[in-house]
Amino acid sequence: MLTNHVFLLLLCCVAALPFLWMVLTSFKPFNEVQSTHWVPRDWQAENYPNVFKALRYGALQSEEVGQWGFGQFFTDSAFMRYYFNSLYIAAAVTFLQCLTSAMAAFAFSRLRWRGRDKVFLMYLATMMIPGLVLMIPNYQIMMRLRWVDSYAGLIVPAAFSAFGTFLLRQFMLTIPSSMDEAAEIDGASKWQVFWEVIMPLARPGLIVLCIFTFMGTYNSFFWPLVMLRTQEKYTLPVGLLFFDSSQGQETQLLLAAVTMSVVPLIVLFVILQKYLVKGIQLGAVKG
Amino acid sequence: MRKHRTDLLPAAAFLAPNLIGFLAFVGFPLIFSISMAFTNWDLSLHNRYRNEPIGWIWLRNFQDLLSHPDFWKYFGNTLFFMMAIPIGIAGSLFLAVLLSRPLRSRSPSARWVLAVGSLASFAAIGLFLMAGGFGAAAFVFCMLAGGVLALGFTTGAVVYRTLFYLPAFTSGVAVYLLWKQMYNPIRGPINIALQPVLDVLTAWVRGTPSWFWQGSGYALWAVAVLGVLWLGLKVLRAWAGRDFGIGTGLMSLIAVVAGGLVLYGLGWVAVHLPEMVASKEGLVAPKWLSDVAWAKPAIMIMGLWMGIGGGNMLLYIAGISNIPQELYEAADIDGAGRWQRFWHVTWPQLAPTTFFIVVMSVIGGLQGGFEQARTMTQGGPYGATTTLSYFVYTEGFETGRLGYASAVAWAMFVMIFVLTVLNYRFGNKYVND
Repeated sequence: MLTNHVFLLLLCCVAALPFLWMVLTSFKPFNEVQSTHWVPRDWQAENYPNVFKALRYGALQSEEVGQWGFGQFFTDSAFMRYYFNSLYIAAAVTFLQCLTSAMAAFAFSRLRWRGRDKVFLMYLATMMIPGLVLMIPNYQIMMRLRWVDSYAGLIVPAAFSAFGTFLLRQFMLTIPSSMDEAAEIDGASKWQVFWEVIMPLARPGLIVLCIFTFMGTYNSFFWPLVMLRTQEKYTLPVGLLFFDSSQGQETQLLLAAVTMSVVPLIVLFVILQKYLVKGIQLGAVKG
Repeated sequence: MRKHRTDLLPAAAFLAPNLIGFLAFVGFPLIFSISMAFTNWDLSLHNRYRNEPIGWIWLRNFQDLLSHPDFWKYFGNTLFFMMAIPIGIAGSLFLAVLLSRPLRSRSPSARWVLAVGSLASFAAIGLFLMAGGFGAAAFVFCMLAGGVLALGFTTGAVVYRTLFYLPAFTSGVAVYLLWKQMYNPIRGPINIALQPVLDVLTAWVRGTPSWFWQGSGYALWAVAVLGVLWLGLKVLRAWAGRDFGIGTGLMSLIAVVAGGLVLYGLGWVAVHLPEMVASKEGLVAPKWLSDVAWAKPAIMIMGLWMGIGGGNMLLYIAGISNIPQELYEAADIDGAGRWQRFWHVTWPQLAPTTFFIVVMSVIGGLQGGFEQARTMTQGGPYGATTTLSYFVYTEGFETGRLGYASAVAWAMFVMIFVLTVLNYRFGNKYVND
């Protein structure tokens, strides 16, 4: 058993090494980046605020910026703006998607109507379509709606999902229908059954959907890349790419930016990993 | 007693937001897209300045597609990347097996003893290294490792599973940029660590007679060929003897062939080593993302790092935990060793999980490679890392040939559809395994 642990520990090191290098190098001054020692001899924590200062609206190169007041980090920094954009869009999409998917899942699992299963099958079939096929026409639609380079264009198309509907429907099917019937006997309307009976019981499935959706939207790259034009609206992935192309030679700054992008995900993961693991296993073993 | 009535009206109300979105952003675009594929819509012809009518050109897009020399190259690139799938599956399976072994001792007190013991021993190692001149960093590293080990003794598989899943969970543009920095030929840690090793290797190879290397190379080839034949026959025999179903048999064959190819590769390297060290610098660390031959393997290595501990590993862990203990007990009674337990119990029982993973990986693999290409190589040195999805992006959004790009996207869809149907036809026999 001991050997198992040691072996696993070694493999963990392999998994964690790139992250370790990332964090350590982000504290190095430029001339130490290439050195063979991983730990900086000259800890330069200013790299982190410098990332925020590096790109300001309209400025592509980081000029010498002096000390910034605290408020300036929020008004002048492009990187802070990218963070805000990513979090805002991810939160909006997650909320909308959970809501519409839950409502649709309720319709597919709890209500009886003609054609229900056929429509559901159609939903499922669309999951097989590669997103790429839909990107081009969706872009045209965005152009007509004048939603290119807008938050609406990023939020609304992502706000519903066949996958979310599928996941929640499967989950709701496991809830015994005696609950609904009891509520209806007490005179509850369909909406009340949905909101007050089913939703609380579906919480584990909802949490999993929230995690997946939030993570997926936070990391989504293709659609924001295609849609966004003005630097102010960039999300983190697009912003990082922009950062790399303009500041890419400054490895330590780039790595500080990358660390800041990755750390929220790591924290989120460590806290929620129990739900995530259950969710993945739930989705596939039953599906 | 409920009246039997249809819930159509409430259903419509609940379904409405979702359905409207579905029709607007999936249904309508789908139809739009397939009609676009048959037109010559091109933003250089149909814009504000030059408004020619959009014409139906029917199958010409598809003809151009198939005769475009680079299309087949990009298709080949996509398939090349998919070669990492069996390696990833093997890695995930391996990790899952490791994590399914008992890792926590039964008595809580023993766990604490082990935890404290590991922290103490790593602290000692750290202090020793620190005194030996490796600096405070060594101590911190040792404490981190000791901490993980201690957690391992107390929480069991959880801490390792979390750490393994981390690369998969954080994957995204940020991580691709991290790896792009790591692959930097001059500044990146990979080459900085690799070059001294290669220099030592060069010196060693130069010091030994070349027949040694060529001989071992040919020997490895022989082992590869014979091994594939022998193991392959074993698999076929088990297949014919109905020990395996069709699916397990094919997976095993693929695994055997893959192993043989690896040995063949090693043999090739050994045979060619003498000539590789003949130049002045000897063995040089490759330029990774700038090198036509190494760009794809570089991306594949990164993909394996991210994928092996990921969702597939979790699926296998769940699958393994579902295997009934009686099967293992029966195997023990028959005197099975560790490898045989795996080969005759674990592997066949995991067949449905493996099947699911293969299907999803193939579907994903055919559509993938866009993000890596866009962030790391812009399509690679001379198109070496351009996959079909990156090609659709450049044709559609950079060149503006929307009709043509739609045609490529639909061609991809057809491939995915055909492969998925084949997988399912073939996989249904799995259920009867």
